[in-house]
Amino acid sequence: MVFQRVFIAVWLIAGLVLAYIGWDYQAPFSYEPVGPRAFPLLMLGLMCASLVYLLVKPTPLSQEHDEQPMDAPTLRKILVCFLLLLAYALLFEALGFIVSSTLAGMAFARLYGGRWKGSAITSVLLSIGLYILFDRILDVPLPQGLLSGLEI
Amino acid sequence: MDTLTYLAQGFGVAMTPTNLMIALIGTLIGTVVGLLPGLGPINGVALLIPIAFALGLPPESALILLAAVYLGCEYGGRISSILLNIPGEASTLMTTLDGYPLARQGRAGVALSLSAWSSFIGALIATCGMVLFAPLLAKWAIAFGPAEYFVLMVLAIVALAGMAGDKPMKTLVAALLGLFLSTVGIDANSGVYRFTFDSIHVADGIQFVVLVLGLFSVSEILLLLEKTHHGHTVVKTTGRMLFNLNEARRVFFINLRCAVGGFVIGVLPGAGATLASALAYMTEKRIAGPSGQFGKGDIRGLAAPETAIGASCCGAMVPMLTLGVPGSGTTAVMIGALTLYNITPGPLLFQNEPQLVWGLIASLFIANVMLLVLNVPMIKVFTRILAVPNWALVPAIAIITSIGVYAIHATTFDLILMVLVGILGYILRKLDFPLSPLLLGFILGGLMEQNLRRALSISNGALDILWSSGITQAIWMLVVLMLVLPVIRIWRRRQAQRKALLADA
Repeated sequence: MVFQRVFIAVWLIAGLVLAYIGWDYQAPFSYEPVGPRAFPLLMLGLMCASLVYLLVKPTPLSQEHDEQPMDAPTLRKILVCFLLLLAYALLFEALGFIVSSTLAGMAFARLYGGRWKGSAITSVLLSIGLYILFDRILDVPLPQGLLSGLEI
Repeated sequence: MDTLTYLAQGFGVAMTPTNLMIALIGTLIGTVVGLLPGLGPINGVALLIPIAFALGLPPESALILLAAVYLGCEYGGRISSILLNIPGEASTLMTTLDGYPLARQGRAGVALSLSAWSSFIGALIATCGMVLFAPLLAKWAIAFGPAEYFVLMVLAIVALAGMAGDKPMKTLVAALLGLFLSTVGIDANSGVYRFTFDSIHVADGIQFVVLVLGLFSVSEILLLLEKTHHGHTVVKTTGRMLFNLNEARRVFFINLRCAVGGFVIGVLPGAGATLASALAYMTEKRIAGPSGQFGKGDIRGLAAPETAIGASCCGAMVPMLTLGVPGSGTTAVMIGALTLYNITPGPLLFQNEPQLVWGLIASLFIANVMLLVLNVPMIKVFTRILAVPNWALVPAIAIITSIGVYAIHATTFDLILMVLVGILGYILRKLDFPLSPLLLGFILGGLMEQNLRRALSISNGALDILWSSGITQAIWMLVVLMLVLPVIRIWRRRQAQRKALLADA
């Protein structure tokens, strides 16, 4: 409940800041009665008004029955998972698809409770298999990165 | 008779070897995606858009692929509901209630085939309904001007909140966030860059595939993290694989009833398969009365939601094709795909692109037959896929999602944006904010703004154009009804609670 209020408050502030920024959007010259700022401001206004309502009267969360309460280890795991996803996104182009996917896939598999051997084999097979499927067969170009010299 | 000619033409499009192949592949991929926990029709359809693009598929083939995946997902979601007691999608939650007990009684094969049959009848009836009503609706919708369209989209957004049930306010906020996000990027009318913060990557707006995959795939990866400790045991499918004639006869009228109901709910904007299946289950439970074994493995409780899901999926395509207003999250993604092909869905689609519309409708018939036929022989393969552990599944989801996002613009920025959107989606989900209204708002936002501005340009700024015509007034009445609906529902629930308290005292 506390977290919900804090989150909605931050959201509300972000909405107000965006509305402040959006206030200046004016067309240099215009042929139509409605300019570029009306619609986003209208939406932000309605959103902020609804958020104020939610801030005053937050709806209690319906806890799903099979969900465990958030404890410190889970929270830490989620943070690690987030950082992993971010690292994968950052290294995707630099290291190339196969290398970055193998590393990220292994880390993910470990994080979700896989053993070293299984994780390693799965992620190597996954990244090479998906590379062949997408880059070679389906014509979706993927970055080669470190392996670009191999000319495969 | 025009309709039949067009339909024949549509079958001509759908029966070409390539399109048949595409429908088959689509249904297979869809079923697998649907039965995996954490991947639903929205991700499945969104992931295939870049691939359809990369393969250079013509728009009608791409749409057939996406529709086949959509139907396949709804079929696949059922398998994990019946065998694992875990709904593969939100909509198949009702299927677990009677499907899992049936499987426990050793009638898993019967449950699977009967639900496939129910879903097939539902989809078949809904597709027939689509053939009958869609052209009429399209003809009528040509009379719609920008003002009517704008009001119609207001109705779609408000209907989301009105139908959402217990949390109308959160649904509304989510939809408004989506509407706002659609304004990011260059404004096509005036050339003003809005909310881009001088970044060239969002100059043409947030890519909707990035938004979809972030919201639905990345947040799902994070949600799966909380469930690593649980082990699943798949119920073995033994005994009879096919339902018998007697069982089919017992549920036949339920199939018909729920198909019509599901179709109607599917057509309504905002209400999707989840609502349709819940309503169908509740209604049939009430009709069966105390004689029913609902919740303990009654085949009627299995047939009702499955029929409704099948019907509402096809029904949801009616507003998408005729009005250009999506009825569900998945059809919103399909509209996004069409926009990538520079095709604006709407009433003119029936005139300008008959091969696309009728090809799609015909391929819905074909895909449904394929799914029904595939279901029995492939069930062993599908159950084996269910046994894939999370630690092998998550890397695959993460990698495929990244490929899907990278395939659009080939920039690191999109990947990072996807991760950030995913975190936001995860928090929103934890706080009970529904995500498909956000997506629907995002897709509708651009259309809504354009139509509003066009309408006000016509009237030279006078606002009364928005409520001067008969059509707009009728739609506004519906909007008011939708706004009042949740208030009444909450009031009635309070009343019931008060009565219960009084009875206790």
